[in-house]
Amino acid sequence: MATIFFTEPELVVGHGRRVLFVNPEDMQIFKEIELPPDLGLKTQAPSSTIEQGSGSCPAGKEQQLAAGGAKQPEATASGSAATKVEAPISVQNVAYSPDGQLLAVTTSGGQKALLLYRSWPENARLLSSRPLARAASALRFCSDSSSVLVTDKTGDCYQYDCVELEATPRLLLGHLSVVYDILWSEDQQHIITCDRDDKIRVTNYPATFDIHSYCLGHREFVSGLALLTDQHIASASGDKTLRVWNYIQGKELLLHELPAPAVRLLVRQLEPEKVFQAAVLFYGNVDALGLYRLERSPDESWSVTATQLVRAEAGSWSISNFTLTADRIYITGAENERLSLRVYDIATGQRTTSGVPEGWVKMVLDGLGASEEDAPPFVPEDLSVWFKKRFDNVSDYLERKKRRIEEQQQQKCG
Amino acid sequence: MVTTGEQAQDRDPEPDALSPTSAVTGLPQKRFYRQRAHSNPIADHSFDYPARPEDVDWRKLYPSIQPGQQVRFADIGCGYGGFLVTLGEMFPEKLSIGMEIRVKVSDYVVDRIAALRRKSEATGAGAYQNIACLRTNAMKYLPNYFAKGQLEKMFFLYPDPHFKRAKHKWRIINQALLSEYAYVLRKGGLVYTMTDVEDLHKWIVAHMEEHPLYERLTEAEAEADHITPKLYQSSEEGAKVVRNKGDHFLAIFRRL
Repeated sequence: MATIFFTEPELVVGHGRRVLFVNPEDMQIFKEIELPPDLGLKTQAPSSTIEQGSGSCPAGKEQQLAAGGAKQPEATASGSAATKVEAPISVQNVAYSPDGQLLAVTTSGGQKALLLYRSWPENARLLSSRPLARAASALRFCSDSSSVLVTDKTGDCYQYDCVELEATPRLLLGHLSVVYDILWSEDQQHIITCDRDDKIRVTNYPATFDIHSYCLGHREFVSGLALLTDQHIASASGDKTLRVWNYIQGKELLLHELPAPAVRLLVRQLEPEKVFQAAVLFYGNVDALGLYRLERSPDESWSVTATQLVRAEAGSWSISNFTLTADRIYITGAENERLSLRVYDIATGQRTTSGVPEGWVKMVLDGLGASEEDAPPFVPEDLSVWFKKRFDNVSDYLERKKRRIEEQQQQKCG
Repeated sequence: MVTTGEQAQDRDPEPDALSPTSAVTGLPQKRFYRQRAHSNPIADHSFDYPARPEDVDWRKLYPSIQPGQQVRFADIGCGYGGFLVTLGEMFPEKLSIGMEIRVKVSDYVVDRIAALRRKSEATGAGAYQNIACLRTNAMKYLPNYFAKGQLEKMFFLYPDPHFKRAKHKWRIINQALLSEYAYVLRKGGLVYTMTDVEDLHKWIVAHMEEHPLYERLTEAEAEADHITPKLYQSSEEGAKVVRNKGDHFLAIFRRL
């Protein structure tokens, strides 16, 4: 996994054990983070108990109730793992808090953790390192930067406090499949999650036991969400559609067919509350990236215009992620199992070097240690497993049943 | 399995043995639909499920459904449908749905309801038009079938206990799922749970009581519910337990 995002004026790229904060316009490196080889995870991973706010359910209660009585909770596993041979730690996801003061990093590999750094006024000082029960799938700060949400592969969503750094994480909600993306409304009233079972769920906050609505209509995994206004979101899915919803009402407002399944969505606001640029990364498509203009009319309806397809030579390398600045698209991927970074022009959709300082790409790759001899091979996640496997366990049964009935009728007639 | 060769010689003696439908009752026989009790509710299966509740063709399930009429009762994991049939008889005005994940078992219920409808039509009564069975994964697809607050009653009778701790996430009652049930249940709606596994009963009660959107009915309230005696009698699994002289554990909860 290579993570990349742009937040004026920094382009942030995470790979292996490093995160680099660079200026895309010149050769300046603002700062860099290198994960320690041992994250020193002492505290226990969160229990699987949803807290309902009353604090009435200590984790121990659940253990007592567990039929069969498992002897030790799995939480100790992360502690003992340090003594075993383990996969190297790598940066999985990085996010800035909205106030720009905090930086959250999730790691994968042998030590799965949520790391919190103070990014301002200090130059990335590690504040806390908290173990994750499982590898994270998405990461999102709340608008007032007081806590951060982490979702995982089993569909659980935990809230980690960013003020009380030692506070036990709270399990806020659960899906039955991977949660691919998570949003938190500006007013912090709703948490919006999307999963592999085609669903977008809108959950009330802080009363997260109460589901406000579902936005239903997608027919495959929902890979990406983006907040448009205080009522509207955009979603992209493996069903080859881009949609706009009123998430408060759970109502679909726009459906746009895409040339291929969408695996990532990024939205930039061009005019407040009105015009947006949506970028969609495709699965198995020569034109690896599509750019769309979403526009809201005064009567609440939305329109979409396809503005650009980016022929990112998909197939010749393995694309993993991308981000946008005002004029350029930065795409990460693997070439010969090495991290690669390519730059494209938004206006033309063509690969470009204009505006990219000479030696800039090399500087970034070197800074991430991607060109080192002993760098571990980089293989982007296989996204084919996101699609549901349709294995048919019905027609065989029905066929046998039909035959049995026919045989019986023959017998009657005979 | 009986081969065709044998069949040719074997003209008569036991026509019933081969027929999935009993010659005596005219109803399908369970032994042709046996299936192991466990199913992984988290794995992919080939379900045809609607994207949204608006997309469900309810007329296919309830041929005489009235415009505006909606399913109000759901028997989750309805097994062979014994209780679903009782529910249909007790509440002729309400549409009840049975949801069952196992292929053969749900097919049995579908065939059983079709047979019951045929028999009833023959006598002119026209009953059992208000019950139907869906093969689906209720843990995943309830919001695909039901709108917010649509259901009045939900039943979880003799659910798979999934004893192993690692499989507790497969339990039909868990904290995350209780929020989904609360979403499809209307305020004041009821959740009926019944099991013969005491540990599971404790688990259910602990999770439901902890969830802010449910409160348990008092014993007196549970006793006063007309459905309560039927819960002890009419599920097949229940009948088996009675023969084994096992204990039943009933708990009813109100959606707040």
